[in-house]
Amino acid sequence: MTVSTINVPDMHCSACSSKIRAALANLTGVEATYFNPSRRQVLVEHEADIGALELLKRIESAGFNPVLSGVEFHDEQQKELLKRLGIAGLSMMQVMMAAVALYSGALSGMDEAYRRLLEYTSLIFCIPVIGYSAMPFFIGALKAVRTGINMDVPIALAISIAFGTSLNATLSGTGEVYYDSVVMFTFLLLGARYIDSRLQQRFSSTSASLAGLPMLATRLTAGVRESVRVPDISPGEHLWVGEGDQIPVDGQLQSAAALTDEALLSGESDWVRKHHGDTLWAGSVNRGAGFEMTSSAAVDASRIADIATLADRAALERTPTAVLADRVAAWFIPTILLLATATFCVWHIIEPARALVAALTVLVVSCPCALSLATPAALTAAMTRLRDAGAVFTRSAALEQLATIDLALIDKTGTLTVHEPKLQNTELLDDHFAEARVLELAGALQQHSAHPYAKAFPTTAAVHLSDVQVVTGSGVRGVWDDRTQQHSVRIGSAGFCGSAAAAGAATDDDRAVYLTVDDRLVARFLISDEVRADAHQAIRRLRELNIRPIMLSGDSEQRCRELACVLGIDYLSRQTPETKLDYLRAQSAAGHRTLMLGDGINDVPVLAGADVSATVLEASDLVKSKADVLLLTRRLAPLPELITVARRTMTITRQNLFWALAYNLTAIPIAAMGWMPPWLAALGMASSSTLVMFNATRILR
Amino acid sequence: MEMLVVLIPVSIVLIAIAGAVFLWAVNNNQFEELDKHGLDILEDDAGDKS
Repeated sequence: MTVSTINVPDMHCSACSSKIRAALANLTGVEATYFNPSRRQVLVEHEADIGALELLKRIESAGFNPVLSGVEFHDEQQKELLKRLGIAGLSMMQVMMAAVALYSGALSGMDEAYRRLLEYTSLIFCIPVIGYSAMPFFIGALKAVRTGINMDVPIALAISIAFGTSLNATLSGTGEVYYDSVVMFTFLLLGARYIDSRLQQRFSSTSASLAGLPMLATRLTAGVRESVRVPDISPGEHLWVGEGDQIPVDGQLQSAAALTDEALLSGESDWVRKHHGDTLWAGSVNRGAGFEMTSSAAVDASRIADIATLADRAALERTPTAVLADRVAAWFIPTILLLATATFCVWHIIEPARALVAALTVLVVSCPCALSLATPAALTAAMTRLRDAGAVFTRSAALEQLATIDLALIDKTGTLTVHEPKLQNTELLDDHFAEARVLELAGALQQHSAHPYAKAFPTTAAVHLSDVQVVTGSGVRGVWDDRTQQHSVRIGSAGFCGSAAAAGAATDDDRAVYLTVDDRLVARFLISDEVRADAHQAIRRLRELNIRPIMLSGDSEQRCRELACVLGIDYLSRQTPETKLDYLRAQSAAGHRTLMLGDGINDVPVLAGADVSATVLEASDLVKSKADVLLLTRRLAPLPELITVARRTMTITRQNLFWALAYNLTAIPIAAMGWMPPWLAALGMASSSTLVMFNATRILR
Repeated sequence: MEMLVVLIPVSIVLIAIAGAVFLWAVNNNQFEELDKHGLDILEDDAGDKS
């Protein structure tokens, strides 16, 4: 199964996307198609033996100009739109000025000659608008002849009717002119499209910056610097990263120290100091002096590529509200055309002179832009905002569910606490061993363990061990050769280290790790989980949002209580994956909507069971692929931010949909009755779309 | 009022010039990165690192 992303720049409305869907549906091997109308992208899941070319051909035959994914087209398209908008704006000012004179002249009596002069002036300024600015609408409508109805049809129809009537009136010297309505309609429609495209650009620039790593990097071959294409870098190559350069691929630092800016990955603006051997992430920027590094992954296997893929998948998925809005919009256009025709026919019987204007007004006023823009725009804005705050959605439907959350279940280790535990205290219990030796031994043993605590010990190669055996959940044992004799060594819990350790264990603290040599207790280590810097604040914010946070942990009662006191959070201790899941099910059954934040493989069932699941960047790949939301920072601040933005997005979406529907339901009857002049219709239509777009951009603030 | 007969064509010419200037500006990327120049002052000068 392969996934291809295809840009279709001329896909404007839901009618277009259903056409593309239909065109791809009858191609065998296509599993699913997802649309993102606001990014003008189609994501196709298909069998590997279908080439992307075949997909492009299909979409082309449906009457579109598809491009395989890439972001280059965006700038050009936007520039083109800006030019059309600017020309329409300049012309509009002139035509409006003439229109004011014409209207006041009509009231106070104006010389026929001056009226003609002003009408011709308007006509001249109207020509660039028709011939240049409004071209996309005409082209779109012409395509509709071949492929079926779309949103450009009523627009093009309205513009041509209004311009045609006015032209006729000007040339014949009798009748009303509507140049002002024509230019205003065009200008405002282009304006709404422009805002929409800016919004998309802002979103795709955040995700393009993920994919938009530098094209070239500097490779060091035997000390000589040479340029190399980033995609050609394979793992294990020696690279040079100059001052201010972006790190091209994931890798390890070879120089002694470096200062990097990982904002692109984590959203955190604080620069990170790296030391020899530390991992460097592709996409971060070198803020200090130049350094050498060894690549550890190719560019498309780097962490940044993973994040980009996940985010793209989410952006292409659609929320239930968006699906509903699209379905409404899809039958809206034919309805409008029917209504306009009906208006024309009825007025033709009552008063033929007003028939055309009334039909025109219906067309202009009812343009369904507002309706079809309402949700995608808000969604794009929300995703952008959250991406900046350090959270990426892998499933966008989760945004709607997030808004209703009232219970947050949070795993302890790795989420509330940071992933790397710290060695808090080393207690030496045997005079024969110095602290350095003890740490070396412990480190050498723990290298073999996958337990989170193992990371707390320094890694070393100074001690030679053999026969190493890992007992999961208990500890590690091995044989240590100190060059004079062999000792059996163990590290782990009090129980694992035998009676000596058990006797020496002062407390039943499961943070303690014991080291024995030949069954003699040598040292006791205290490991501390470091609480995430802003965990306390994040928990308080969640409470303020009326969400009850609960900490779930497999750790002992005592440890949970300590941490819970510090954080002010409710907790359940000694949990297994099964009891966690049972608890979650009980809460869901009681009507709670749950968010689960976890990072371990053992959390996967609970993550899958929760309404919304979130995880942190350090989590394993399996967990990341299952979670709906990925927190990119080392802080928990994005968690309450997620909820606020989700709630706000839902409010704004509802406002938008309500406004779009209410507007259409009131304006269309008024227009059909002939009580509305065309210029007012144009203003109403466009301001409803613009209002919707602006309302969506409020999420960004 | 007769002046209108002169002034309106003059305004048409002026607007045409304004339109041409606008198109030139867009084509030459004058509207790209509008925030950039305000931030320029915060950047250190290249090569002045001592």
